[in-house]
Amino acid sequence: MEERIAGGYDPFVLPFMIGIVFILTYLLIALIRIICIMPKSDRKRLGLSLLKPKIIYKNIKDIFGDCLLHLKIFKCNPLLGYMHASIAFGWFMLIVIGHIEVALFTPQRNGIIYYPLFYRYFVAEQTPTPKGSLFFFLMDFFLLIVLSGIGLAMLKRIRSSALGMKRTTKPCVADRIALYCLWAIFPLRLLAEGFTAEISGGGFLTKSTNTLLANFFGNDINVLPMWWAYSIVLGLFFLALPFSRYMHIPTEPLYILLRNAGIKPSHPRKGIAEAEIYSCSSCGICLDACPMNTQKKNIKYSSVYFIRFLRKNNTQKTNEIADKCLMCGKCVAACPVSVDSCALKQSQRSTITNKLPYNYSFLNDVTIHSETHISDINAQSGSDNNNVLYFAGCMTHLTPAIIKSMTSIFETVKEKYVFADKDGGICCGRPLILAGRTDAAKEVIEKNRELVRNSGCKTIVLSCPICMKVFKEEYNLQGVTILHHTQYINNLILQGRLKLNKSEESFVYHDPCELGRGCNIYNEPRNVISAIGELKKADKEKDKSICCGGSLGSLTLDYADRTQITRESLQALTIENPDKIVTACPLCLKTFGDQSDTPVIDIAQAVADNIK
Amino acid sequence: MKTDLYKNYIKNANTHRMNNNVIIIGGGPSGLEASAQLHKMGYKVFLIEKDSQLGGHLAKWDRLFPDSIEAKSILENILENINGVKYFLNTEVESITLLDKEYNVILSNGTTIPATAILVACGFDLFPAEKKEEYGYGIYDHVITNADLENWFKTGLDDRIVKNPKRIGFVHCVGSRDEKAGNRYCSKVCCATAVKQACEVKEAFPDAEVFCFYMDLRMFGKGYEELYLKAQKDYGVRFIRGRVSEVAENIDKQLVIKAEDTLSGKPVKVTLDLLVLMAGMKNCVSSAKIANLFSLKTDEYGFFTGKDSIYKLQYSNKEGIFHAGACTGPKTLPESLHEARAAALAIDNYIKSLE
Repeated sequence: MEERIAGGYDPFVLPFMIGIVFILTYLLIALIRIICIMPKSDRKRLGLSLLKPKIIYKNIKDIFGDCLLHLKIFKCNPLLGYMHASIAFGWFMLIVIGHIEVALFTPQRNGIIYYPLFYRYFVAEQTPTPKGSLFFFLMDFFLLIVLSGIGLAMLKRIRSSALGMKRTTKPCVADRIALYCLWAIFPLRLLAEGFTAEISGGGFLTKSTNTLLANFFGNDINVLPMWWAYSIVLGLFFLALPFSRYMHIPTEPLYILLRNAGIKPSHPRKGIAEAEIYSCSSCGICLDACPMNTQKKNIKYSSVYFIRFLRKNNTQKTNEIADKCLMCGKCVAACPVSVDSCALKQSQRSTITNKLPYNYSFLNDVTIHSETHISDINAQSGSDNNNVLYFAGCMTHLTPAIIKSMTSIFETVKEKYVFADKDGGICCGRPLILAGRTDAAKEVIEKNRELVRNSGCKTIVLSCPICMKVFKEEYNLQGVTILHHTQYINNLILQGRLKLNKSEESFVYHDPCELGRGCNIYNEPRNVISAIGELKKADKEKDKSICCGGSLGSLTLDYADRTQITRESLQALTIENPDKIVTACPLCLKTFGDQSDTPVIDIAQAVADNIK
Repeated sequence: MKTDLYKNYIKNANTHRMNNNVIIIGGGPSGLEASAQLHKMGYKVFLIEKDSQLGGHLAKWDRLFPDSIEAKSILENILENINGVKYFLNTEVESITLLDKEYNVILSNGTTIPATAILVACGFDLFPAEKKEEYGYGIYDHVITNADLENWFKTGLDDRIVKNPKRIGFVHCVGSRDEKAGNRYCSKVCCATAVKQACEVKEAFPDAEVFCFYMDLRMFGKGYEELYLKAQKDYGVRFIRGRVSEVAENIDKQLVIKAEDTLSGKPVKVTLDLLVLMAGMKNCVSSAKIANLFSLKTDEYGFFTGKDSIYKLQYSNKEGIFHAGACTGPKTLPESLHEARAAALAIDNYIKSLE
């Protein structure tokens, strides 16, 4: 291949150049800004993480897997995954191969930013060579891949159900401009390269486009206008990019680096949060995930719109949505970019609620219930450290059947345990955290931590997943095993300490949000249920499980809307007509108990009923 | 001449009554009273009761507020007047069809009855107290409901009531005025019932301390306020304004109650030997089925809604179908009886208007 245009320049590259210079400057400033407003500790953390080989490997893997191949979407919806991956990966390959072409055939133009894009205009192959044909083929092949993705994207706009999405987001003005530009870029590239193919040569796609079009439109007159159009559309796309959802393309890799460094948002618009909200691609997968959205009127409270308003600094709307959210984490689990919108909403709540006064000075007088229940008469008094600390939590105190079942299990296996909050305890702090009151939560957490430490117990058994999550994430109890009672019971079964009868009954298991998505505990409860009866499947399981509707995450959702969610969740649970619904959270138990026609019990009750 | 005209008038006035059947659904106080009235007017009345006995909740109650009249004597009064009314026990409505201003009703025992008017008086159910699990009904040994206590007053049989309880507590508003239980409404009768029962329980166990945990005391009727004062002055019942937050059981199977005394602003903890839950009223379990069969309107709680809430409460949204008693919402017994009579009149006027 040889350069055809002397000087390697034509005025049509100008629109593109304006766009690319603008976007690169914008991104550079944005990057510096994000790094600067990040808390110092986070910056240090990011720096250190970039030196650790394990994290570097994960970064590369995630950037490839998430940004280019969209493996997460592939897993749940292959067609939608293909749509995203074909555009992202196809475009990426066009850029890479374009640069290789420049480096191989016109090394004197290395580093000229527009050159690889408009390569076919500047460079021509007079006599076919195998190397040239290979590149023609590769470029055409990836262009075709991208075009197929664009085709699907257009179809999705018209009929989202065709790609397995019930709903799709409403684009704003900048989104529309960028969207139409994106749609136009690749067909225009095909036309431009097609018209030029007679002069420059081409592959299977461009060459055949050329033969087809030449008959209708002629060639020469269309060459330049098409390149101009291609360049203008590219330039426009880059100009609209920062104000549109496509900002996620350049931001996502940065977010992956920050996320993998283990940084958590402390403010809804600072540091990682800034990267996070610009990584949202507005794809709308969270619309279908949100349990509130069974009612159309609640769609406006979806995470995607929360992030959009956050970008626009619309405090009134962001506060409204942040307070409404159930914090069930379903959208976070479904998000292809892993945007933790619950954490963002939590920090949004903090901007208001952390200013509220509180006074927990009375906590100093609280002591732990010290009476040890020695079920095993032969237990040595010296082995105090092996005691189990049972922390029921305040919600469990409202469902005494769970406590009764747990004490009966402890007695059956002759466990030596201390019932920490038998006589009432201190709140675990999770409700405060969910409400954004992180400072107030620190005080109760500190006090509880001290009580746990002083008890000398090496294992804590919790009955409430809400407590479980905060104990695991915030308590910092090294050397203490934190178990939810599902895990504890499962261990007892595995160790052979607890013998159970397998009944004829069938059960379906409801994954509580805080235990499943919150603590990643999915298999233990299922093992336990399989030991006492038949485990039936629910329509939505594990990380897709629907919130019971009782979540204390939401600060403003009214009772009627919650009831609707409860019904929806119960319907999903009972598709196989189980005899009983089993859950592992006192809050789910209470919420379902009020609405369900099928009996609802806690896993501890189910186990206690079937002890041999 | 004059007497002839009069006789003629009487004859005309009564024929419409003799030729028309009326079906009454529900054999509680209002269903019974309405049957008695309509029967007296000369209608052929068919009473349908899903239970195995007549009288509804009244038959299970011991004494009635505010004057502690025996429920049995009231029920006997009502039952005296229904001689001649055809009634079916253990029976429910299976289907209904409208044939030219006349309903054709098929019962679960296979009987088919044509009727010009139908009175729905299916009453209420007690709120299932086990749904408020934090109070421990069905979980702890010494937690009972208001209905259980009445049954004990009547029969003296209940293992959950210990021989000599030292402390007894009443929890008001169990399943009423409670959004989380799905019922935002007030059940109206539980306050007076609780005060009455507190006095009675004090009579049964003079040495026991009796506590009532309430949100508001709604002593709205004649003699109710006096009853409340009497409970405090003569019986020494202690009223604590505050909801019970949770109930636990200690090793001796006593109940440890935690509540807040909102008047003094302090948390309260009491150990009790017996806890009585004042279960409120909810819609009757068969009301949904009836509403469905007859296409009747209900409110968000499942109670039937009359044409309006003041003037046409007895009229349903369907021509020829009427309501009486607690099937339209919580009612006291006198109210239910008055409504039954009002409904009987409304039915008579309706059938007259058809002639």
